[in-house]
Amino acid sequence: MSALLDHLPEFWQGLVVTLQLTVASFAGAAVVGLVITAMRVSPVGVLRGIGTAYVETFQNLPLLVLLVLAVFGLPEIGLKADLLVTAMIVIALYEAAYIAEALRSGVNAVSAGQGEAARALGLTFGQSLRHVVLPQALRTVIQPVGNIFIALTMNTSLAAAVGVVDLTAAANRVNLMEAQPIPIFVGAGLAYALIAACAGFVTGRLERRLVVVR
Amino acid sequence: MSNLLFDQPGPRARRRIRIATAVGAVAVLALLALAVRQFAAGGQLDADRWSPYATWPMWRYLLNGLWATALAAVVSAALAMAAGLALALGRLSRRGWVRVPAAAYVEVVRTIPALLLVYVVLFALPRYGLDLPLFWKLVVPLAISNAAAFAEIFRAGVLSVERGQGEAGLAVGLTQGQTMRLIVLPQAARRVLPSIVSQSVGLLKDTSLGFVVSYAELLYSGKVLATYNGLLIQTYIVVALIYLVVNASLSKLARTLDSRGTPGARRLRRRPARA
Amino acid sequence: MVSMKRLAAVAAVSMLGLSACAGTDSGSPAVPGEAKGGDLIASAPVAAAADILPGSTMEKIKQRGELIVGGSLDAPLLSQQNPTTGEVEGFDADMGKALAKYIIGEPKVKIVNSASETREALLGNGTVDVVLQTYTITPERAEQVSFAGPYYSSGLSLAVRKGTTGITKPEDLNGKTVIAGANTPAIPAIKKLAPQAKIVTFGSDPECMQALKQERGDAYVQDETLLVANAQKDSSVQVVGSPFTTDPYGIGLKHGDDQFKKFVNDWLKKIQADGLWQKTWKQSLGTVVQGEAPTPPQIGSVPGS
Repeated sequence: MSALLDHLPEFWQGLVVTLQLTVASFAGAAVVGLVITAMRVSPVGVLRGIGTAYVETFQNLPLLVLLVLAVFGLPEIGLKADLLVTAMIVIALYEAAYIAEALRSGVNAVSAGQGEAARALGLTFGQSLRHVVLPQALRTVIQPVGNIFIALTMNTSLAAAVGVVDLTAAANRVNLMEAQPIPIFVGAGLAYALIAACAGFVTGRLERRLVVVR
Repeated sequence: MSNLLFDQPGPRARRRIRIATAVGAVAVLALLALAVRQFAAGGQLDADRWSPYATWPMWRYLLNGLWATALAAVVSAALAMAAGLALALGRLSRRGWVRVPAAAYVEVVRTIPALLLVYVVLFALPRYGLDLPLFWKLVVPLAISNAAAFAEIFRAGVLSVERGQGEAGLAVGLTQGQTMRLIVLPQAARRVLPSIVSQSVGLLKDTSLGFVVSYAELLYSGKVLATYNGLLIQTYIVVALIYLVVNASLSKLARTLDSRGTPGARRLRRRPARA
Repeated sequence: MVSMKRLAAVAAVSMLGLSACAGTDSGSPAVPGEAKGGDLIASAPVAAAADILPGSTMEKIKQRGELIVGGSLDAPLLSQQNPTTGEVEGFDADMGKALAKYIIGEPKVKIVNSASETREALLGNGTVDVVLQTYTITPERAEQVSFAGPYYSSGLSLAVRKGTTGITKPEDLNGKTVIAGANTPAIPAIKKLAPQAKIVTFGSDPECMQALKQERGDAYVQDETLLVANAQKDSSVQVVGSPFTTDPYGIGLKHGDDQFKKFVNDWLKKIQADGLWQKTWKQSLGTVVQGEAPTPPQIGSVPGS
């Protein structure tokens, strides 16, 4: 246990980085995911194709491979950013594919009559998506998106492999000095569980408040 | 295609669609061309940096890794799905002594990183005399953690079926179990299929944790290769392509099987699968 | 035409990688690694039957017919798997084969690839018989595992991009960003000698090299041998100064197994005396370091061993 308490500052810094990664990546993923969803249900064939290709590509690659390619590959084509920023962007783009997939199933769950009614009122594609379809779709996907948030939190730990000193990297470094894996990693795991538990609590509340009973 | 959000386009809409199509296509092509040009300028496309991957030993090595990945993924998925279905039904049960433990398992396990479970199996269990073989040190934590994820998917599917369906089943005299089995589950299964496929693909990707338990799967094999030949970017691009091809084929296969397997649902499935 | 030929040659070299370096050294680039390793092991000693005490760890290994070694597959020059042959090559790998031959009579080794944080547990629960993986002997670790050796003494050194000025010794790293391999002894060493340095870690040696070249850090701290090998392959990077730490590598054994520890130490003394140790060094680390094999470290000479 003392291994944990002696290195509290390191753990705290790691936790802060993990939280930054989680929040920034999720915000980015939500925005990109919405755009991709809009593209995938749009009347323009090419946009649907791009959206589908995006989701297929990012869902079918391990995050770690993407991180390594972005960190070491992008500087080769002249795009070099801070490690933390690179990791945030990669995780955001990666999780956006999952959010887009969840949102699309939400959009599909909205009955066709809703869209027809919106058009009958004279709403454009953008308007009917924004005012009619998405609000209903979002409610049905609170639980899946909450799960994506939790998965995203767990996935931020992979940033440690490309040099970001997050909670996992901090735990790893402390373990290297103290060689006591059990208290150190259980401690780090509890911190992750705590973040996820908060997310679970929030989605639970949201779902109870907003869910559409059919 | 989806007719949820737009009707048959008229002349003006068709023109706008054509413009958007052209702009989108040009943007994508320009982006690709730029990326290739920049990579070439950095010397990353030189023939000698890629020629090792035209040789059989490199591929044999990577394919061995892929086989190990597939084996671990299939076994973990089978265990996790069986456990997940049981947990989902348990969580929806009317009996508290079934519902509470199932819910507790799902809620606790899904908030713990798979990596942590791997560490528990790796370090903690041997101290209590349970020392699993290498393969199971990867599979057991993945199955434990994915069981919770599958349980949530199944449960969401069951809950997404309109209440009236279950009520109607009960009204015609079916028991709770029969209603679930004959009416709710078949509809739920169809709806959650895309999620099941992406979760399985996710599980396949999770097997990359194998490098922590020293299980030589695809990603780890790639890492060993990169240290051997020093071609970091090329190696990871090849590994990425293998993952992409394998996982995309799996998703495609699942979609094909799905639209064939349930003839009545063909029309219904078309839209969600390709919207 | 000429350029095509050169291209093919470069391709062959990069494909064969390190073993190609080893190959040109011994003048037989066609079959790198294999034959040499075989010669070496053929001359390795086998323990007298009387030394394999009944009920000992040695007897257990001999009956199993295989030595299980905790090691790496991705440590160039020390323990690197050759994808072409599947063989693991390098100094640590050859030491493992020689030890297996000493116990069993044949160089039968199974390498359990272990992350550095799992090594104490792997030894403690008997998953592996020995750990041969740049395992620095420290008194703290000696509380959890026993160490035979040291069998090799190494040191950390500094590499920078060519043209970098102002970095010649570890103290110069204060205020700079320093690249190090994850889970390597470089991290605590930098923290001690340059507390104000910012450390960035990457998973493997090529990743660290790439990061150095892409200016993600000002210097790269790693075992000197590896850095020398890297600088030979890539002329944009150079090694500065001399090693600034001494890391005595030990063979990790289950804690408290004094019988096995004495057995392994006796073996190490034997191969140091008969020249096998020096030959092994020549064929692995010696391919990138100029000069004769160094004097092997004195067995039991460091705290914790």
